[in-house]
Amino acid sequence: MSTSVLRSETVQFEFEGRQFLARPGQSVAAALWSAREAVLRTTAQEGAPRGFFCGMGVCFDCLVTIDGRPNRQGCLVPVTDGMVITRQHGTGNPAREDEP
Amino acid sequence: MSTDVSDPAVENSPRIVVVGAGPAGMAAAISLAERGLSVTIVDQAPRPGGQIYRFPAVPSTKPQEPDRGAKLRHHLAEHAGRIAHLPEHHVVGIYPERRLGVCGPDGFRILESDHLVLAPGAYEYVPPFPGWTLPGVMTPGAAQQLVKSQGVSPGRRVLLAGTGPFLLVVALALHEMGVTVVGIADTLRRRDAFWKLPSLLADGKLLKQGLDYVGGVRKAGIPLLTGHIVTRAEGHGRLEQVVVAPCDADWVPDHGRSRPIVADTLCIGYGFVPRLGLAQLAGCELTPTNLPGGWIPVTDAWGQTSVPGVWTAGDGAGVAGSIVAELAGQLVGLGVASSCGAIAGTEAETSAHPIRERLHQLSRFRKGLDALGSPRPGLSQLADESTVVCRCEEIQRSEVDAAIASGSTTLRSLKVSTRLGMGPCQGRMCQPACARRLVDLGCNTVQEVGPPAFRTPLVPVTLGELSGSTESNNSSTPEPAGAS
Repeated sequence: MSTSVLRSETVQFEFEGRQFLARPGQSVAAALWSAREAVLRTTAQEGAPRGFFCGMGVCFDCLVTIDGRPNRQGCLVPVTDGMVITRQHGTGNPAREDEP
Repeated sequence: MSTDVSDPAVENSPRIVVVGAGPAGMAAAISLAERGLSVTIVDQAPRPGGQIYRFPAVPSTKPQEPDRGAKLRHHLAEHAGRIAHLPEHHVVGIYPERRLGVCGPDGFRILESDHLVLAPGAYEYVPPFPGWTLPGVMTPGAAQQLVKSQGVSPGRRVLLAGTGPFLLVVALALHEMGVTVVGIADTLRRRDAFWKLPSLLADGKLLKQGLDYVGGVRKAGIPLLTGHIVTRAEGHGRLEQVVVAPCDADWVPDHGRSRPIVADTLCIGYGFVPRLGLAQLAGCELTPTNLPGGWIPVTDAWGQTSVPGVWTAGDGAGVAGSIVAELAGQLVGLGVASSCGAIAGTEAETSAHPIRERLHQLSRFRKGLDALGSPRPGLSQLADESTVVCRCEEIQRSEVDAAIASGSTTLRSLKVSTRLGMGPCQGRMCQPACARRLVDLGCNTVQEVGPPAFRTPLVPVTLGELSGSTESNNSSTPEPAGAS
């Protein structure tokens, strides 16, 4: 697998406050997987880690918050330059986060 | 259907919408365009191809061999004058009179159709087992996509598990890209395959292809663990190891002989489930089967469902693979063209004859494969009490079993009593396995357990997307109040 990616062929994005490089066209989930970030969200009830599972938009396990908008399907959204992604906790809705 | 469809001078050409740009949808659209009809093809992906012929998101460093997908894409492009392709569009709902609500980059819109061809495809069947929600556990299709379309290695030590030839295909794809595949655990035992040889011999070419995959795996030095099943996935925060055990003909593991395999990625799948949501929202009659997913739409010899003007082809109409999907798409094209009067009924019959002969031959082969790969009861017993069975709502096996014990033995009643299937995936992940368990436990028959119940919106949409409604494809959609 190609590790020496030219700077001009990359986009830069942020995940959990850290900067990463990805190849244009890659999905958010694939870019994060490539960055060895396997945990994309934690669940509402158990706080259990979840990641990339079906890869085709069916399972809704790869939900992340992108540019402030929660519940985006990481496997379907292409990563873009300057994108800010955060790990989603629970519903991703700040108003409901404190609910048991 | 409008009148005068048989009149060649009819002014209004029929409005035909195809949902899904995999082999079935592409073949149907091409077949219709070849007969002079205009088609709109709606698809979730940015480029046509479906899951099997997914267009690389990242340009590959390796030259790609032109596959059937490339050929179909080429034909689709040749007919660009007649085929309007709407990429990155999700179907949100189907309303009376074959009206389709779709959501795309420009928001929500309604597409009206005289003929609606549903080619939604299938997704992988993964029944619950302890540890299956850990990051690092994924479907073989997801891993294939990472390596082939995204240019990303799925892991450092990858184990493939489940059943069926697709595991071999993915193992070889990973191996070719330099990924370390530590093994393939397949529930199929060698001696079981022997008894299915007569039906598998129905198609020598496909049988040879399958044997070539086995040969390729051997040559690559990938350990093939036949008659083994994954009993659990373990790790802290992400996958670290997988426990496998030998299984019997009913896929019941012999836990006493289980052993751990160190892996950071487990790709697991037990076949494919047809995507039924569209057919169900369109009101198509479904019929029970013994295969994953349990139900398929009822169709006539052309692929028309019980709802006039609604047709279906491909894995969404019953999982049978890409070659069958392409042929079935052609058949639907002929059926729709004949129904619209674009071709004579006799011409449709003549053109359909060789397609049907080939489909018949392939169906014998498929029956052999289905008999081998059809889930056995041991698969329904892998989850323990605390295993989450509904990934969205985090419902544990014990909660579902308690509901079953108090008489909830249909998907509908389980949904009401436990919230199973109420999350964003609408039960796509949990309900097929749960239905199967109800049947395997002897609680109910497939018919009585019932098909999963999909509802609008089929995919989550925001109110903003819905209110940002753009114009429809024709003038007959109601205008906003006061516009006229």
